[in-house]
Amino acid sequence: MNQFIGFRALLSREILRFTSVFKQTLFPPIISSFLFISIFGYFIGRNLTMAENTPYLTFLVPGLVMMYLIESSYQNTSTSLFIARWSGYIQELLVTPLSYVEMVLAMLLGSMVRSVVVSAGVFAVSLFFERTAIMHPWVVLYFMFFVSLTFSSVGLLAGLIAEEWEHISILTTFIMTPFIYFGGVFHSAQNIPHLFQVLMQFNPIFYMVNGMRYGMIGVSDVDFKISMIVVLVFFSVLFSVVVWMFSQGYKLKK
Amino acid sequence: MTNALEIKDLVKFYGKRQALNSISLTVPEGEFFGFLGPNGAGKTTTIHSITGLAKYQGGSIRVFGYDAVSDYRQTRALIGFVPQEFNFDPYLTAEQILYYEAGYFGVSKKEARRRAAQLLKQFDLYTHKELDYRKLSGGMKRRLLIARGLVHEPRVLILDEPTAGVDVDLRKKLWVLLRELNQQGMTIFLTTHYIEEAERLCKRIGVIHQGNIIALETTEKLIEQLGKHVITISLDRRFPEIPRELRQFGIELAEDGNTIRLTKNEVHLNELLKAIYAQGLNVTGIDTEKTNLEDIFLGLTKEK
Ligand SMILES: Nc1ncnc2c1ncn2[C@@H]1O[C@H](COP(=O)(O)OP(=O)(O)OP(=O)(O)O)[C@@H](O)[C@H]1O
Ligand SMILES: [Mg+2]
Repeated sequence: MNQFIGFRALLSREILRFTSVFKQTLFPPIISSFLFISIFGYFIGRNLTMAENTPYLTFLVPGLVMMYLIESSYQNTSTSLFIARWSGYIQELLVTPLSYVEMVLAMLLGSMVRSVVVSAGVFAVSLFFERTAIMHPWVVLYFMFFVSLTFSSVGLLAGLIAEEWEHISILTTFIMTPFIYFGGVFHSAQNIPHLFQVLMQFNPIFYMVNGMRYGMIGVSDVDFKISMIVVLVFFSVLFSVVVWMFSQGYKLKK
Repeated sequence: MTNALEIKDLVKFYGKRQALNSISLTVPEGEFFGFLGPNGAGKTTTIHSITGLAKYQGGSIRVFGYDAVSDYRQTRALIGFVPQEFNFDPYLTAEQILYYEAGYFGVSKKEARRRAAQLLKQFDLYTHKELDYRKLSGGMKRRLLIARGLVHEPRVLILDEPTAGVDVDLRKKLWVLLRELNQQGMTIFLTTHYIEEAERLCKRIGVIHQGNIIALETTEKLIEQLGKHVITISLDRRFPEIPRELRQFGIELAEDGNTIRLTKNEVHLNELLKAIYAQGLNVTGIDTEKTNLEDIFLGLTKEK
């Protein structure tokens, strides 16, 4: 038996899932990023500069790219897994010879495809307002890859733990969104009171946003190598937890 | 010959509640096995333990010699599972459901497409292949569920009440299909509430009740051992009690006073009739009745 075929089938099922509901999965971030960029970046931020004399629009775009990367990753896996549990479809998967690592990896990679498409779309929207070159493409790819895997893992955790649909949106509203907004998407750490500067450093998203900003425009509140390590550590821990939970059948098996 | 299924001392708790009380059960390869029991007896729990949907606390399960926990990939590849409840992928059409299922089991794309088409035709679903499964009727969903269990060509097919809520016509068709699959060498493990179905199809039957296996026999023996042959003889006269001359035959007198009942004692029938005639009595009617599996099943599960 060829294990790779099974893995590929689940991966393509995951991609089929979000593309079949593209109006809910691909359009909203493109539209709202257009609103953010035009209103905050272009209308309000035209005469505003951030650290190192960066125009606000230029500063904002990497933040938005990272924000939607994170959101899409989280939403994709949490929705996919929750619906799989809720509909009973997860039981179909659990009786196949796919290993737990393969199941988790296929869901994570499927989610990565969605979030990369979305963040590329956000970047494409920004090109209508301003043409920017990407300064460090490898750094950008690194953060896209690992941040999307990290938040896809968070989404899997949410999809496993949630007992009702509401739990997922509660997590989004009360945890994800505040962490993302306070993570430096819209502002630099240098523009805020000292207390908040200190607090920000405990927010993992701060490192992710700044890593992306460094990769795209070469500006960051923190050394990008530190950001890289933070992301890798977060991913490794979350990935192990998720695989362990699957192998234990947590909330999957009776 | 290898055993398709080998369950040894299986113990399963849901929290503190024990659902399986150390059950053991072996199904040789190629057998058509029936697994019966009233609601809540533990049938689905047993099946879920085999397929990996339930964790169990004691005992072991082997599928063609592979351990269901440590060699789960091998065992799952060998099992085709048709669950009691629909658990389709909500994002896929009927055809995609079969196609992706084949994929999860490692069947190549081309072959998966071929098998999906063939099964859709075989199960009369081909014209509905583009439909979201929610738009299929109950019977169609049932058929799709069975087709899905077959798409990776398993060696043992486990069906959890596949004929529940299915009309007579389809049920008969499914019987033919299952029999055919079995004749081609597939081991079949069937759970059902239709005793007639088990009686017709299964070579051997296990009865589970409150988490215990209370009978495990060939269908024939089960009926022979526990089944009764009742012969009712109507006489032309009434009696307040059984005449002394007839008592040795171990018969019962019915309430009406002129019918006697003979149970299981076929050998004595001739003698009994002679004795009846010797009393100057006449037989006005004779009726025989054989208990079927249904009665046996009810008897078994009521006593406990
Ligand atoms: N997820 C669960 N949590 C707690 N108890 C359960 C769970 N599933 C089943 N049980 C209990 O375990 C026992 C066996 O249930 P099971 O589903 O195996 O019965 P069954 O023989 O398949 O019945 P049916 O003919 O109704 O399908 C029942 O008492 C049931 O209440
Ligand atoms: Mg059941």
